[in-house]
Amino acid sequence: MHERRKSLALAAAGASAMMVLTACSGSGGGPAEGEREVTWVINSLPAAWASTNGSGSVYTVQMLSGVIPHTGVWQPDGTYEYNMDVLAEEPQVINDDLDAGPFQYSFTLHEDAVWSDGTPMTGEDLRVTAMMSASPDEGYCTTCDSRGTTNADMIDTMEVDGKTITITLKEGLSDPEWMSQFDSTSASGGFYPSHLAEENGWDVDDPDELGEFFTWLHETRPEWSGGPWMIVDGDLENQVVKEPNPEWWGDPVQLDRIIMPFNTDEGTFVNAFNNGEIDGANPAQFSEDVIAELEGVPNATVTIGEGSTWEHIDINTENEWLSDVELRRAIFTAIDRDDIANRTYGQGFPDYELKNNHIFDSNSEYYVDHITPTGQGSGDTEAALEILEEAGYELDGDTLTLDGEQVGPFRLRSTDTVVRNNSVQLIQAHLAEIGIDTTIEMTDNLGEMLVGQDYDIVEFGWSGSPYFTSSPEQFWHSESSSNFGGYSNSEVDELTEMTGTAANRDEAAEYANQAMEILVEDAYVLPLLADPNYFFVNDRVAGIEDNLYSSLRATYNIGEWSLAE
Amino acid sequence: MLVYTVRRVLGAIPVLLLASVLTFVLIDLSGDPLADLHVQQPPPDPEVIQLQAERLYLDRSMPERYWLWMTGIGGNGDIGLLQGKFGPSTQSATYDIGANIAERLGVTLRLVGAAMVFALGLAVLTGVVSAMRQYSKLDYALTFVGFLALAMPTFWFAGLVQQAGVSFNELVGTPFFATVGDGTYQAQGLSPWGRFTNALAYMTLPTIVLMLTSFASWSRYQRTSMLEVLNSDYVRLARAKGLPNRVVVRRHALRTALIPLTTVVAVGMAAIIDGTVLTERVFQWRGLGEFFIQAVEANDSFALMAWLMLSGTTVILANLIADLLYGVLDPRIRYE
Amino acid sequence: MSENRAPDTVRTIDADGVGGVERTQLQMITRRFLRHRPAMISLGVLVVITLFAFVGPYLWTWDHTVHREIPPSVPPNADHPLGTTTAGNDVLGQLMRGAQQTLKVAFTVSILGTVVGSLWGATAGYYGGRVDSLMMRIVDVFMIVPLLVMVAAIAGSVRGGTTWWAVALIIAAFSWAQIARVVRGVVLSLREQEFVEAARAAGASPGWIIVRHLLPNAAGPIIVAATLLVAVAILLEAGMSFLSFGIQLPDISLGQMIGDARTAASTRPWLFYPPGVLLVVICLTINFIGDGLRDALDPRQTMERR
Repeated sequence: MHERRKSLALAAAGASAMMVLTACSGSGGGPAEGEREVTWVINSLPAAWASTNGSGSVYTVQMLSGVIPHTGVWQPDGTYEYNMDVLAEEPQVINDDLDAGPFQYSFTLHEDAVWSDGTPMTGEDLRVTAMMSASPDEGYCTTCDSRGTTNADMIDTMEVDGKTITITLKEGLSDPEWMSQFDSTSASGGFYPSHLAEENGWDVDDPDELGEFFTWLHETRPEWSGGPWMIVDGDLENQVVKEPNPEWWGDPVQLDRIIMPFNTDEGTFVNAFNNGEIDGANPAQFSEDVIAELEGVPNATVTIGEGSTWEHIDINTENEWLSDVELRRAIFTAIDRDDIANRTYGQGFPDYELKNNHIFDSNSEYYVDHITPTGQGSGDTEAALEILEEAGYELDGDTLTLDGEQVGPFRLRSTDTVVRNNSVQLIQAHLAEIGIDTTIEMTDNLGEMLVGQDYDIVEFGWSGSPYFTSSPEQFWHSESSSNFGGYSNSEVDELTEMTGTAANRDEAAEYANQAMEILVEDAYVLPLLADPNYFFVNDRVAGIEDNLYSSLRATYNIGEWSLAE
Repeated sequence: MLVYTVRRVLGAIPVLLLASVLTFVLIDLSGDPLADLHVQQPPPDPEVIQLQAERLYLDRSMPERYWLWMTGIGGNGDIGLLQGKFGPSTQSATYDIGANIAERLGVTLRLVGAAMVFALGLAVLTGVVSAMRQYSKLDYALTFVGFLALAMPTFWFAGLVQQAGVSFNELVGTPFFATVGDGTYQAQGLSPWGRFTNALAYMTLPTIVLMLTSFASWSRYQRTSMLEVLNSDYVRLARAKGLPNRVVVRRHALRTALIPLTTVVAVGMAAIIDGTVLTERVFQWRGLGEFFIQAVEANDSFALMAWLMLSGTTVILANLIADLLYGVLDPRIRYE
Repeated sequence: MSENRAPDTVRTIDADGVGGVERTQLQMITRRFLRHRPAMISLGVLVVITLFAFVGPYLWTWDHTVHREIPPSVPPNADHPLGTTTAGNDVLGQLMRGAQQTLKVAFTVSILGTVVGSLWGATAGYYGGRVDSLMMRIVDVFMIVPLLVMVAAIAGSVRGGTTWWAVALIIAAFSWAQIARVVRGVVLSLREQEFVEAARAAGASPGWIIVRHLLPNAAGPIIVAATLLVAVAILLEAGMSFLSFGIQLPDISLGQMIGDARTAASTRPWLFYPPGVLLVVICLTINFIGDGLRDALDPRQTMERR
């Protein structure tokens, strides 16, 4: 056990002055030649042992990689793959024609699929997971505070037949992204072993007792596993240690142990890597110098790609000046997105791509470039001034005026991160060129600022996944509490509602693109770019790559990691 | 002596009480424990926020909350310092602040203990040497090093130390020094000797970082107090009597010169606690320093208050012990 | 008389209050300080740095903010002697502004902390008894709180961005206690002296006695403590910046620059070394000046520092 530690201890003794004593130190434990161990950093503390409730984060999800079984995962190339270790067959939509009857779909689990205690996985596990993902109003569970209830709340009935579950949605509802119900993207990150509720004496059909099971899952280190790995040691502060799940029925894993230490400080990565203490990480923050330094390390592979968070500039349409769409268009036109991108990520990630579609990235089959044709974000000062002139604004020296009155000044706000801080300074410079004066005010309470509509122009980020159908309504619907800038357009309202309830993704994407078209015309939100994320790994590890389409990141295929020959 | 001790302990109570008021008011006014809930997207049910507010006693008035925090009377049984309960946490409904502190105390004590022992030893050594060779090149060099140490931001110095550790490893070709983690996990299943070298590997660098500031200021202090004693009448008398220099220094001067250091070390406790916050972050130890940062980041009022009360009590205790030691060490002082 | 007060406020405990003796005393102190070579050199360096920080920005082309004309992330060259950042800041411009803000914070803390601490300590020492014990208990409370953490706990939740004076106020609010304790100690030993008795007999108010008689006589220790507080404040500000509770961007301080460039040591040394070295040099000079002042003001005074 703990071979690497052992050799470290020996080495330490060897290097110390008391070399005489090393002879005695070998007796501590048998040498375990050639143990295959990988140390993979989790970039923050996972607040809980399960990810369904509000404290669930990508760090919990990554910590549980290879432990919690799921039905599918988005691949690094942006395609979706069902998890055919866990599923018997690709799940099916039984009915998506609402005129013929309610929306219905089913999952069937693999015949060999078992939990690590030997209990077979059944549709019951799926049913209980869905019950815990729903909001308390649904009546399944009194105290479950799931962080993602959208899909589960649509469910009317669930029928379990052995390994199969058939789910029927409430009347009139359809769920174009039904397949996400139990996949790695869902709030639970997969599904839970329901038989453990019974073992602990809880009746899952009693809403109070299901709540206790829910709490237990979040607070107890899982000794169970439904994936290739199981957690054998660890806590929520320092690290978890994973060893192979003896009951795993799929392809056997290629390593003996994976240690996942939690490290919150990017500043330590390079030293720890050079020192052989860590094999790699998929950090959440972009850190130019860390990347540059790692790229100089011979045995490190570093990759950078667009992550799931995208930066954008929003305008408060309820500001008396900014309620004028022409002024908003001019502002967006004067902002030079390429300049911003180049001066934030350009050095570390010269291949950055500007974001021209709020919802779909350029690899997506649904991608349409909404921004470029409009000239917004081009930094074309001339064009911006032209728009203003036509709308009756005048440039008086360095100051933009309307009917002799100065336009603005506007409060330009954001949170105090290096990237955003640079962006707002650049935006300030860009807008100065069309005579618009801005004052920069940073906040450390983004939520309060947004909800309070306490800004004129703001830059912040949304994070998304390839699942998109609920986003447009959340972002732009006039009734949505996340539509902070007071934007209201009945056509957009209608289109975003249709996106959420379309029969399938193709249809939903069609509506979403139509909504964006109008939105861009109205110059409400200017997307900048997706924040890039980096990943680094020691070349001694093989079969590992970053996956920016999944919150699992590099751990999405943890069962396939191995050591290079 | 006993009377004095009791009097001092009783005297510490109003200070702690005052500290509790100050801590409570400042923390209570400065953070919003529900901030994270307000930011959450999509926004949670108002009912969820209401429940959370009730759980954290935010539905009560501030004086009421203080009373609750101190006594726990009228609470839900999870609060009341006098009952040894620290209150509910924002981090989760079952996050036990007291248990967490207890768990991390060992990690931090290990670091603080090592740093204090080494800082003290080195400080006395260099202080005495500096004083005995006053105005020599060595004295100037040590003075400069001391001032340099006092001028360096801890986290900046920590980076340099880590880099030096890695360079040393590369030089000798074995990973001797570790740069992240406290090594507890790595020590599992090792022989006692293995555990010792493991501790050496993981503790050396952070200890160097944490002891830096204390070492520098204590060494300066030791130098001054040693100089004072060396120039005092009784040391001159001892010398005049023809006692050998070594005996004079060891038996007479050093012992007297050490006495004031006890006070300085006690007062320096607060600075060391400051140091642990930065050191633990840079070396990724999950001790009380990290507990503090986590609590700040989570707007965890009760956790912050617990932390501040604990550190306050520690400093008061350290001062008390120093005062009592003073009496033991200095025969001239008698407490009645 | 009052015009003359400032220079001869420095008296020592043994001074008998005779004007002539004071004069010699002051001259002696000055001479001792002038002869303290490290302190004199440090004073010179500190003056140069202060000029650099406060006058420099008027002379130098670039300020600390982002400019479109500045090429991103280039090493030192003729146009930008200390190179530039990724976003397009001139590092020299940042360094001037950073030093300026850091010094502003540090001196504000020192002045505020010293004024509050001195008055507090002198009042406690002058009245003695219950007043003293209550006031000193409050000092104790502030002394037991680890500065950095308290400051971080408060600053962590200061709304709407933190400016330099907010940072200074927060640090000052928790660092006056040390000075109060020092001053009280001195005043305790002074208040029974004849010149205080005489003033009291002449009907002087307690406020007058504290400000006119007691504080001037405690000036030595106060000056030394105030000097060292400058260095303490600088390091505290740096620590806060590292934990990201310090001055907020786009404004900048040395601590902020050091924190931001922590990982740039080998990749972009022009970002890493200048702010760090400048900060160390400032603290170093202040320590030496404090040392020189202590030697000059009271060769036997042993000040304990944190």
